[in-house]
Amino acid sequence: MTSRLYDSIEPNVIDGEMLQKAVEEQGPKEEAGQLAKREGINFKDVKELQLDFRNILKIDNLWQFVNLTKLQLDNNIIEKIEALESLVHLVWLDLSFNNIEVIEGLSTLVNLKDLSLFNNRISKIENLDALQQLQIFSIGNNNIGTLENLVYLRKFKELRTLNLAGNPVCDNEAYTMYIAAYLPDLVYLDFRMVEDSTKEIAFVKYQYAIEEMKQGEAVALAKQEAEKAKQKELDYHKAAYVEYLNGSFLFDSMYVEDPEASKLEYLPGVPELLETYKSKFVTICENLFEYGLKQHEKRKAEVALFYECLNEALEDNREQGNQIMADFEEKRLLALDAIQTASETEVLEARLQEYNDGITKLSETLMTMEMQLVDQLEEVIKDFERNISDLVSIFIENEQGLMAQCRDLENHHHEKLLEIAINTLEKIVKSELEEEIPDDVRMLFVDKDTIVNAVNASHDIHLLKIDNREDEIITKANSWASALIEKVHKSEITRNRNRVKEINQFIDHLHNELETMDIMEA
Amino acid sequence: MEGKEETEQKMLEILDEEEEEAEEEEELSSFNLSSEVHDLEDRLSQIQVHIPEFVYEFDWSSIDTSNLPESYRTNSPKEQLLLQVADNFWRQYAHLCPDREPLFLHPVNECNVEKFVSTTVRPTLLPYSELYDWDSCAHFVSDYLTMEPLPSPIAPPSYLYSPTTILRYQRGNCFDFSNLLCSLLIGAGYDAYCVNGYATREICMMDETREACPLSQRAEEVEAVKEKPKKYAVKPLRDLRSKFELQQEAKEVAKEQAAEEKKRKEEEEKTAEAEKPKPDPLYGLRVHAWVLVLSGKREVPESFYIDPFTGKNYDTKDDHFLGIESVWNHRNYWVNMQDCWNACKDLEFDLGDPVRWEFMLLGTDKPLLSLPEIEEEEEGEDEIEDLMKEEESKAFDMPASWVEPIRITPKEFEMRCPQGKKEILYRNAKLEKWAPYLNNNGLISRLTLYEDPDCKRLLEVKEWFKNREDMMERRELNKQTEVTTEYFAPGHVQGLKVHAYKTMEPETERTMEFYSETRVDGLQKRVETPTDMAEYFEGRSDFLWYRHAEFGKRAKKPPNNTQVNTESNARPILKITERFRRNPKKPADEDVAERIFLILKERILLTYHYKMNYITASKREFNKRSDVDTTGNKIIMTQDMCLSYQAGLTEKDEKLFHLYEMMLRLMEEEKLSRHQVWESEMEVLDILRIREEEVAANKLTVAIYDTERNEKSREQRELMERLMQEERQRQVEQDLDYLAPFLIQMGGVEKMTKWLALRLKEDCLNDFKHRLVDKANLIQARFEKETQELQKKQQWYQQNQLNMTLEDEDAYLSFCSEAMFRIRILENRLNRHKERAPQKYVALEEKLCKDPRLAEYIKFYA
Repeated sequence: MTSRLYDSIEPNVIDGEMLQKAVEEQGPKEEAGQLAKREGINFKDVKELQLDFRNILKIDNLWQFVNLTKLQLDNNIIEKIEALESLVHLVWLDLSFNNIEVIEGLSTLVNLKDLSLFNNRISKIENLDALQQLQIFSIGNNNIGTLENLVYLRKFKELRTLNLAGNPVCDNEAYTMYIAAYLPDLVYLDFRMVEDSTKEIAFVKYQYAIEEMKQGEAVALAKQEAEKAKQKELDYHKAAYVEYLNGSFLFDSMYVEDPEASKLEYLPGVPELLETYKSKFVTICENLFEYGLKQHEKRKAEVALFYECLNEALEDNREQGNQIMADFEEKRLLALDAIQTASETEVLEARLQEYNDGITKLSETLMTMEMQLVDQLEEVIKDFERNISDLVSIFIENEQGLMAQCRDLENHHHEKLLEIAINTLEKIVKSELEEEIPDDVRMLFVDKDTIVNAVNASHDIHLLKIDNREDEIITKANSWASALIEKVHKSEITRNRNRVKEINQFIDHLHNELETMDIMEA
Repeated sequence: MEGKEETEQKMLEILDEEEEEAEEEEELSSFNLSSEVHDLEDRLSQIQVHIPEFVYEFDWSSIDTSNLPESYRTNSPKEQLLLQVADNFWRQYAHLCPDREPLFLHPVNECNVEKFVSTTVRPTLLPYSELYDWDSCAHFVSDYLTMEPLPSPIAPPSYLYSPTTILRYQRGNCFDFSNLLCSLLIGAGYDAYCVNGYATREICMMDETREACPLSQRAEEVEAVKEKPKKYAVKPLRDLRSKFELQQEAKEVAKEQAAEEKKRKEEEEKTAEAEKPKPDPLYGLRVHAWVLVLSGKREVPESFYIDPFTGKNYDTKDDHFLGIESVWNHRNYWVNMQDCWNACKDLEFDLGDPVRWEFMLLGTDKPLLSLPEIEEEEEGEDEIEDLMKEEESKAFDMPASWVEPIRITPKEFEMRCPQGKKEILYRNAKLEKWAPYLNNNGLISRLTLYEDPDCKRLLEVKEWFKNREDMMERRELNKQTEVTTEYFAPGHVQGLKVHAYKTMEPETERTMEFYSETRVDGLQKRVETPTDMAEYFEGRSDFLWYRHAEFGKRAKKPPNNTQVNTESNARPILKITERFRRNPKKPADEDVAERIFLILKERILLTYHYKMNYITASKREFNKRSDVDTTGNKIIMTQDMCLSYQAGLTEKDEKLFHLYEMMLRLMEEEKLSRHQVWESEMEVLDILRIREEEVAANKLTVAIYDTERNEKSREQRELMERLMQEERQRQVEQDLDYLAPFLIQMGGVEKMTKWLALRLKEDCLNDFKHRLVDKANLIQARFEKETQELQKKQQWYQQNQLNMTLEDEDAYLSFCSEAMFRIRILENRLNRHKERAPQKYVALEEKLCKDPRLAEYIKFYA
């Protein structure tokens, strides 16, 4: 590979001066150019930029060009792709004839369609996953050596043109066939059209490998989708605050952090007890789950209804406003015409006065309308707020009831367990115990206090878990309600402010217009 | 007819005179023209032409019955038996119900033979899909036949002709109509019956002048259902007006309304009174026959009547039908035993109920009495059913119909009405129908609406067309507005759908609608007045849906007043307004909603779409003024050349550069819009021209499957026939008698002797030989002539070769090659002739030997 060395000239970094110059050179011409020059060009407005043959070593200072769609950085000595993250609208990027070794730093350029990395030192195609819209990819005259690396290009469903000529990989006999087989959607390869016949032959040749690969891809896709669906369901449950309650998850979690429970399990009769306890507990959990989902749907429906009505009201109001504006517009045109044609000062004065009155009246009408709307909406929002808090409190109440049942179960279980434990203790003391129990369990039965403490500790842990879950649900539900209400209020306030601002602005505009016209008269 | 033409001519003359008078008067004093016209109209309407009605009295007794088949002229034994059964039935019936009218049981047919009515019904399914449904079938019958009144309005006729005869002469009374319709309906699978009963005068006389025309009725609009208020709907504003005042106002309004209502009602009553028919002295006595279709078969949900004269269906409780005497189909005959004091309103049509309907033949597939108990006791019923079956098999069943199968040829079917024409009078309307292709402009029906019941003042004329090459389907002429509206089927040039106009002059009031989906520019409607033009579009990718152009007056007529319409010659455009729909891809305040080019004032006004929840739309106003500032530099763009208001954006100053670009773009677009307006004008002219040509041409299209009318296929067929005929003629020629000239010389075959025969043969052969040699000589002579000419030419060429132009040389060369070609051909022909001549000679000799006229004489010799 050849690399150009610009020994005679200093390596450059993109700086403000260079950019300014380039923008001015490449900006509008002639009359428009004069205008632009006088005003100065905002980097935000530049769509295309050409920075070739400038001996640039490091890309920098491009963050201002947020709306850039075409960037040419070819024929420089760039070694690293960097500082392009903010140029998200880029469609065309030319980095050919540089000294780049690794493809990187392109993950934000999701709109890129044409990417040229021709004549660089790249040895592997990678880090391009985000470029799903890529259509033209030029990576000729590089160091790509393996055919397997090209399978990576299957990711790009839109890719139609590929240029690979001048890479070591092209010397491989199977190169053309391989590409034709693995990238069947490709139309042009190395500046030539890929014949259909070639594609067919290639397909036959690599049929098994490709089919296997496709199978693999399909399986992966299916897996991904299943995962997605699962995640979605979980999100849904979370939104209803009852995630993981449709099973023994809570019950299991109660016992995970309980070291004594496993020991106590060795006591006679405990496993059976545990079994019944678990099944009852899980039933309650499931009830809670079902109830939670139902309530969630109810809340959703309520919110949807509210927004529907709100939007309807706003739409009505807007239409009314539009009507008023349209009526005024007609009057305005007539009035302006009259003012302009008025010859005598007195008539002019009178007409001006009339028009000004009209403007004032319009402003008043619009403001009144807005005030009325605010009142109306306030009432509706209050209703909504009340209903939502009712819904949430009902939900919490019932949820607490179910949780109390859980707690009762736990208490009951605890009593039973304690009884068994004491019985066992007595038996051990009397050495009547038939079953063998491990030593660490036997350790618990040193005296009554120890065993009672152990059972109590286990019980406390369980209760804590249940309490935590309950609190979690309550806080989440409450915070949702308050956030929602706040959001509604906030959006109403911003809406109101915007409207008032709009009205004022429009009135100001009318006055301004009148003034400029008067100046023209004078 | 001549008389009518004359009167028309006279009318025209009168009209001309009147017009002249009117003109003179106008010259004298320019007073109110419309009153003059009115006066003229009045005076004209007084002049009325009465065409003497030429009524062609059809005489049924004169019809030819000799060709009718045997079954028409005699009764089979079974039919005779049936007649006896019928007589028996009639006697019993007359005994039981002495006060009822005689039954319509066995009238005579066209051959004066008594036939039972049920056997006259001939169920037939005709091979026309149109006749498969009852409504189109009924309309066909009503169109196809001409109505004749009954000989006596209060008694059924004494005769009933076969449906075939009725179809042949295309006329009949209500019984004939019903019989035919019933036959067709039963054939199509309906449970249909002929009904003999009583009806009102309007029905019996087919008087529809009191009925509204079915074609002129308009569909009523369905009112939208009001939604109930939702939970969170905002409450309406409090009404702050005085309740008392409102009440008073409402009272006033109600009073006025009541007064108006009263007035209107009175007027309505008046008109109703005027339109009310005179009381009919024969009310309730007029005999009529119609068709009853019972529910059940062919998914008929409810029983109904069909009046065969009009083809209209009526409810079984309709006021027009006053009573039923009897009903019959091809299987049986039932007498109504229910009281008809309340017309047909209380009648039950359960024909299996022997209390209400007295059947004549037992158990011939009668409609079952609908008793639910029967179904419940199914098992125990088995025996009884078997018994009943036996009984049924013993019972007498209806003999097959004596009528020949009903046939209608496609041509007759297409002609539909007698002579392809029919005229129906409705209230304030007249409907005329024609068979397709009968009128050379494709007119198939015309509905004329009048203002008054006497049909004097025209209101509207609607015409329907078929098979027109210009795809015109309908034309409506509104006499009040003088607007003609033409409707087109898809397929007209430029996708024209509707064209409404007063005159065909360009630049006048007109509306054109188009099939927008077939047009590239998506034009849906174009409305023109003398000074402006509005266009409506649909489904355009640039979201334009409306363009309106205002025109000024042409400054001057161009000096060379030719018909060439160039853009320079067009009317000046004062203003173009374009409106766009919302483009969802653009933000609202960059998406232009309306764009007005004030071309004279050099201003451009832009209005953008409304932003979400905004009541003001952004606006921009450009003043195109290419001024020069004080120092003489050209002003490119200044702030005050563009006034803009941007809703919801406080930062005002946009870069002049952008505004400048925008203005340049707008100016380009203005040019484009102007051009498009001009193109639209051109298109209008084009369409008008095409329409005029089409109307003048009046061409009709013919389906390629229509062998009768399709010119091309007919030509082809004729050509084939001609070719075949020619072929036949050639064959005849081939068999030409070669001996004839010689026989004539000798005086015929009769005098033939052996010697003569030999000589004849000799002569004939000699003659043939001579001809063969002659032919060879002729070829040789031509051959020599050609070679000589060629040689001459060659000599001439050698002499003049040096001073010769290229063209001459070419000509010479081509001549040579042609001459050589001719020589070759002649040589070939000569050779072939030499080869063939002996063969031909031998063939002739053989043929002569075998000739029957010579053979017997020559045989011995040979």
